[in-house]
Amino acid sequence: MLSYFVRRLLVALPTLLGVTFIVFSIVRVLPGDPAQAMAGVHATQDYIERVRKELGLDLPIHVQYVRFLRGLLRGDLGRSIRTGLPVAQEVWTRFLPTLELTAASLFLTLVVGVLVGILSATKPYSLYDHASMFLSLAGLSLPVFWLGLMLMLLFSVRLGWLPAAGRGGLRHLVLPALTLAASSVALVARFTRSTLLEVLRQEYITTARAKGVRESRAILVHALRNALIPIVTIVGLRFGALLSGAVLTETVFAWPGVGRLVVDSVSARDYPVIQGTVLVIAACFVFINLAVDLLYGVINPRIRYD
Amino acid sequence: MKRIGLWVLCGLLGLSAMGLAQGPRMGGELIIAFGTDPESLDPNKITSAPAGMVLTHIAETLLTMTEDLEIAPLLAESWEFSEDSLALTLYLRKGVKFHDGTPFNAEAVKVNLERFRRASYRFLLYPRVQRIEVVDEYTVRLHLDMPFAPIISHLSHNFVAMVSPKQIAELPEGQDIVAPIGTGPFKFDKWVRGEYVRIVRNDEYWGPKPYVDAVVFRVVPSDATRLVLLETGQVHAIMRVPPLDAPRVAATPGLEVVKVPSVRTIYIAFNYQKAPWTDRRVRQALNYAVDKEAIVKEILGGAGGVSDAPIMPLIFGYSPQKPYEYDPEKAKKLLAEAGIPKGFKVTLYHPTGRYMMDAAIAEAVQAYLRNVGIEAELITMEWAAYLSFLFKPVHEATFDMFLLGWGTVTLDADYGLFSLFHTSQWAPAGQNRFFYSNPAVDALLEKARVTPDPEARKDLYAEAIKLIWQDAPWIFLHYEVQINAQSTKVKGLIHHPREYILAHRAWLE
Repeated sequence: MLSYFVRRLLVALPTLLGVTFIVFSIVRVLPGDPAQAMAGVHATQDYIERVRKELGLDLPIHVQYVRFLRGLLRGDLGRSIRTGLPVAQEVWTRFLPTLELTAASLFLTLVVGVLVGILSATKPYSLYDHASMFLSLAGLSLPVFWLGLMLMLLFSVRLGWLPAAGRGGLRHLVLPALTLAASSVALVARFTRSTLLEVLRQEYITTARAKGVRESRAILVHALRNALIPIVTIVGLRFGALLSGAVLTETVFAWPGVGRLVVDSVSARDYPVIQGTVLVIAACFVFINLAVDLLYGVINPRIRYD
Repeated sequence: MKRIGLWVLCGLLGLSAMGLAQGPRMGGELIIAFGTDPESLDPNKITSAPAGMVLTHIAETLLTMTEDLEIAPLLAESWEFSEDSLALTLYLRKGVKFHDGTPFNAEAVKVNLERFRRASYRFLLYPRVQRIEVVDEYTVRLHLDMPFAPIISHLSHNFVAMVSPKQIAELPEGQDIVAPIGTGPFKFDKWVRGEYVRIVRNDEYWGPKPYVDAVVFRVVPSDATRLVLLETGQVHAIMRVPPLDAPRVAATPGLEVVKVPSVRTIYIAFNYQKAPWTDRRVRQALNYAVDKEAIVKEILGGAGGVSDAPIMPLIFGYSPQKPYEYDPEKAKKLLAEAGIPKGFKVTLYHPTGRYMMDAAIAEAVQAYLRNVGIEAELITMEWAAYLSFLFKPVHEATFDMFLLGWGTVTLDADYGLFSLFHTSQWAPAGQNRFFYSNPAVDALLEKARVTPDPEARKDLYAEAIKLIWQDAPWIFLHYEVQINAQSTKVKGLIHHPREYILAHRAWLE
C-alpha cells in the first residue's frame, strides 16, 4: 500500500511537469500580448516594448520556460504581470475561498446526492422516484448563472433569509454552494439510483433478504457498499468539475475565488498567474484521484495495490 | 398594497425631510460595489478606473479635476508657466502631512515625480518633463523639453498621486506599493483581493474631513448581482447599471439612478489607406447610412449622446459639428458616385463586453449597411487578442472597419486628437490605428500643443475638428453615459465623469 502510494506520487511528478509544459505553451499560442494587455488601449509601442522587456517576455520561449521551471523548484511561481504580487500569494489567497466552496458543494453532493439516489432506488417508479429524477434532470440542465440568480432572487430579495453575495460566515456559503452543487447532486443521485438498482438485483441481496436481514441493512450495508465504487469514482471526477465550474458561481455571487482569478488573468494575459493557478488546480486533481484510488481498497478490501 | 406603498413613500419623504433638517451626519460605513478588483494601488502601476477611484480617496494629486471638469488646486495651491512656457512652477499647500506623519513638501513632490519618470508604467509625464527642481520647501519647478500646455491636465490625473517619500524609500527594489500612504481624506485600511478594499477616515486631514467612518469598495463582477445587493440594501451605491435595467431601478422606491457623461467616445474607424476607404465620399456615405440616434435610444437605452465631434462635449477644445444625419438615400447616392457596386463585402471587427452593448451596436451597424448595399461581415474578438490585432503597421492591417472606444482621460483635446489623428501616431507607434493622415490637421494639432493661451488653443482645435469631421475617418457614433445607482439614504456622493464615485463628502442618513 505504502509503496503503491509512493509510486503514484512519483508518477504524479511527470504528469505535473507535462501540465506546466502544456499550459506554458498554450498561453503563449493564444493571440494577444501580455505587455500590451497590461499597457492598455492608450499605450504606444515604445512603451509596450519597455514593458515587455521589464517582464522578460522578450527572451526566447525556451529560456522563459527554463526560468519558470527553475523558479518552480525553489517554490517560486514568479510575479503577476498585472498586480506585481508574488503568484504564490495571489493563488493562495484566492484558493482558500474556492476550496471552501468546493468542499461545501462536495459535501452536499455526497450527502444529498447519495441519499436521494438510495431513496429512489428503494422505491423505483414511485411518485417520489419520478419527482426526484425530474428534479435531478432539472439540476443537470439549468445553467449555473440562471440558477444562482433565481436562488438569490428567492432567498435574498423575496424572503430576505440569506445574504445575496460575498464571502462571510456560513450563511454566505449556502447559496453559492447550492448553485455549484446542483448539477453534481443531480448526477450523483441518478448514478446512485441506477447502480444501486443493479446491485439490488444481485443474488447475494436476495440471499441476505432470505436469511432475514433487515431491509435497511440489506440496502445500506450489503448493497450500498458494492455500489459505492462507481459513485466514489464519479464524485472524484466531479471534484475537478466543481473546481472549474466554480468560475460562474464565483462571478454570480462575487465570491473571491480562484476561478475568477483565472478568468481575469486570461483576459490580461497574465502568464505567470495562469500557469501558477492551473498547476495548483492540476495538482489538486491528481491528489484527489489518488485519494479515490486508495479509497477503493477501503471500500472493497479485495482490491490490492501491488 | 397601494396603501402600503403610499405609507412607505410618506415615510421616505419624511425621512429625507428630516435628513435635510439635520444636515450631514457623522459616522457609518459606506459600501460601494463595482465590477473589477483594482489591479494595484500603487500610483506607479495602476491603469484602470476602478483602481484610480480607490486610490484617489487615499492619495492626492497636485491639481485636481472637479466633477464639472474644471482644473482646481489640490496639493498645489497655484501654478504658473514661465514666459517661454518651458517651466511650470507649482506653489504647494503648507501644513499637509502624509498619513505616516511625513510632511508634504517640494522634496516629496520631486521623489514622487522622479519615481513616475523612472517607471515605464507611467506614460503621462515622462516624455516632456526633463528636470524637476526644488526651488524652496514649498515650491517646485518642472522643466520641459518643449512647451506642452496639456501638462496641467496630466498633473490633475488621479494616477499622478503623491505617496509618502518615506514609503517609497523603504520599498524593496522591484516591489509595488500595496497599502499606499497618501495625504487624502481617507487612510488605507485593508484590501482582500477579489473581495473588497476598505479605507477609513483620516482625522488629521488638512481639508474638510469626511463624514463617514469608513468606505468599503466591494468587488461584485456580475451586473445583476450588484443590482440585487443594492435592492436588498447590502450596499449603498453601485456602478455600471445595465441600461435596460435603469428604468426599473429608477422606479424602485428608495433607489435613484445617476447618469454621468463619460469621457469615452465610441467610433467605427475605416482603414484609411485601403480602397475604397481612401475615397471621402465612401466614408461620408457610411456616416449617413447609420442611424446614430436610434442606436443611442434603442440599444443604449439613452445612456449616451450622439457624437458631434471626435471628442465629447466636456473635453477642453470640443467644438460641435453638424452631425451626419440618417439619410440612406444620400448614402446610396454617394456610394454610386464613388462607383461602389451593390453587395460590396467588407469586414467589421469589434470587441464584445468591453464597451456598453458593443456587440449589439456592431450588429445594428451591419443591418444599416445592408440597407445601402454593403455586406459587412462581423468578426468578434476577445479583448487582448483584439488589441494586438489592431496594433499592426499599415501594410499588415487587413481590416476594413473596426469598432473601438477612446477615453480622453486627461480631459484635454490633445489627448483625444493628437494621439488618434496625428500622422506620427500611426500604429504600431501610436494610437492612430486607422492610418488617418491630413497635413493640415497635423499642423494644427502640433501648434495647439505648444500654444499656452487657452483661447488660442481652442480655436486651433476647432479648426482641426472641422477638418477631421469633413474627412470622416470614422463612423462617428456616440459618447457613453455611465449609469450608477444609489440608495436615497446616501447624500453627498459625487459621481465623476472619470467613472469614479467619490465619497469625500458623503454621509449616511
